[in-house]
Amino acid sequence: MTEEPIAAPHAVLLPPAPPERAGYFNYFRAAYGHATVMMVRRMRVVMAAVICLLPVLIPLATAFLSRDRFAQEGAVQFRMLVEHAHITMLAPLLALFFGSMLIGEDIEARNIPYVLTRPIPRSAWVLGRFGAYLTVTGTILLLSIGLTFASSTSLARFGVSATNLGILAQYSAVAVLALLGNGAVAVFLGALTKRPIIFGVLVLYGWQQLAMKVPGVIDFFTIQKYTDAMLPALASERGMQTSPAARDALLEFTREVYAVGAAKACITLLLISAVFLGLTVLVVRARQFASARAIGA
Amino acid sequence: MNDTPDVTRDAPVVEVRGLSKWFGEVIAVNDLSFTIGRGVTGLLGPNGAGKSTFIKLALGLYRPSRGTLRVLGGAPRNNLDVLRRIAYCPETDHFYDNMTGFEYVYWLNRYWGMGKKDARAATESACELVRMADRMHDPIDEYSKGMRQRIKLAQCLGSRAELLFLDEPMAGLDPRGREEIFALIGRLGDEGYSVIVSSHILYEIERVTDNVVLMYNGSILARGRIHEIRDLIDEHPHTITVETPDPRALSLQLLHPGAMSVEFEEGKLTIRTRDPAACYEKLNDMVLENNGPAIKSIRCADDDLQSVFAYLVEK
Repeated sequence: MTEEPIAAPHAVLLPPAPPERAGYFNYFRAAYGHATVMMVRRMRVVMAAVICLLPVLIPLATAFLSRDRFAQEGAVQFRMLVEHAHITMLAPLLALFFGSMLIGEDIEARNIPYVLTRPIPRSAWVLGRFGAYLTVTGTILLLSIGLTFASSTSLARFGVSATNLGILAQYSAVAVLALLGNGAVAVFLGALTKRPIIFGVLVLYGWQQLAMKVPGVIDFFTIQKYTDAMLPALASERGMQTSPAARDALLEFTREVYAVGAAKACITLLLISAVFLGLTVLVVRARQFASARAIGA
Repeated sequence: MNDTPDVTRDAPVVEVRGLSKWFGEVIAVNDLSFTIGRGVTGLLGPNGAGKSTFIKLALGLYRPSRGTLRVLGGAPRNNLDVLRRIAYCPETDHFYDNMTGFEYVYWLNRYWGMGKKDARAATESACELVRMADRMHDPIDEYSKGMRQRIKLAQCLGSRAELLFLDEPMAGLDPRGREEIFALIGRLGDEGYSVIVSSHILYEIERVTDNVVLMYNGSILARGRIHEIRDLIDEHPHTITVETPDPRALSLQLLHPGAMSVEFEEGKLTIRTRDPAACYEKLNDMVLENNGPAIKSIRCADDDLQSVFAYLVEK
């Protein structure tokens, strides 16, 4: 057998050759750009934006209907909306809408062989797509939080001040981290299962809500545990005050014993996200997506 | 096992040893052992023969259940050094939603590691090559079957990969489109590219290469020069169905020594022949020179090919 290297095929027929070894970031940008274009063209984005913008109307409606009665509740209402609507409900919803379909849709639509037969590092593809998910969903959620803040200023004792802007920034950061954590779990489910939406609902809503209500350490296995730990203290205190006495005492006890500080919660959430994204890369490498079984046919 | 791609001239592009692939209880590919050298190679077999499964194994989309497979000297699965040198045109008609042909090829070119400018230039060249330059900015949803086939081919031509896997690339193309693809594959072969092209129609393979691997029921039935296989097949009649507004006029023009029988239906002519090449030649001439009744489509009955393979198996 001769060891003579093969001459490159003549250059007259086909387009210029791609780079011999492109940088990792080049592949990441390709996956990011492609996924962003696909996501923003979907009707799903409009639907998600409409749902996410609903909380903006609540302070306006409150102000319009009964300005005096709710005069003191500008700050409280903003915090309640962001904690309960944006972070607890909408972030998992966006993760379900977009994260679970980030890879799941390519499997279902059988487009994944195009990607897997190209020399793109699987991690660059997963991370690029995840970056697109964070950009699109982050824009929607932060826009909604910003507008909710603006609409809450229509209520008394809540205005644009340095303190309130600080709170807005903190809530925005927690919302992005909620998208990150929930999204990483959702994208993993999308790569692993044939019905990512169903499994996503079970995990992000069913499991999380259940685990958060059970005393003990089980809530450590949720995303919400860590997003809650990063919320401004006032809101949590307010939440505690409205709870029944027995539950209050129980929660106090568990919080004392198993409380997580904001910094630790942030690091843990980042670690959880990294683990699930790593697992997603492993699943993409290991599964045989071109088979009928993988697509659920 | 060393997975570094082999770049020597004489090395086979595909090397298979005892390769099997099964899905549950279904055996898709059964104990294949062969090598494919450089140049254009036809993978011929009826539907369900295992051609697409073999191609997906060679692309690394499937893990072999047993045996080994090396493409350009390396195991293909998740091997970026191998994937950098191969390209794939799938048989199935799946595209990204809400995209034009240009965008589809452009983004897939970006996955080769190309920057924006290079990907754009490569996309334009590839679309030009498959004669889609004038429609490349139209949404894929508005494409005909033939145009979809061409744009799928374009996405694998932008890479300058030295080994191309084309799974049923002629499916859905009109006679003129087929001729163009035959010519393109021929040019690729002449330019030094290796092409593995699958089809269930012998004539299509015959037009692009003399080198063929015959698959049936997941196994290799025969491999070698096409005339040797043709000698086996020629004894068996071949059925061709042509859609035309004037079947009777067409039948007169298609008369040739190998013709055994013709059947007429509303807008359809079915001809059984022992000399399909002569029949296809006549059809091609009529289409290209526009000297006969209009031809809407030409179809080689797959069940007929099934029977040919069954016939060969019995032999």
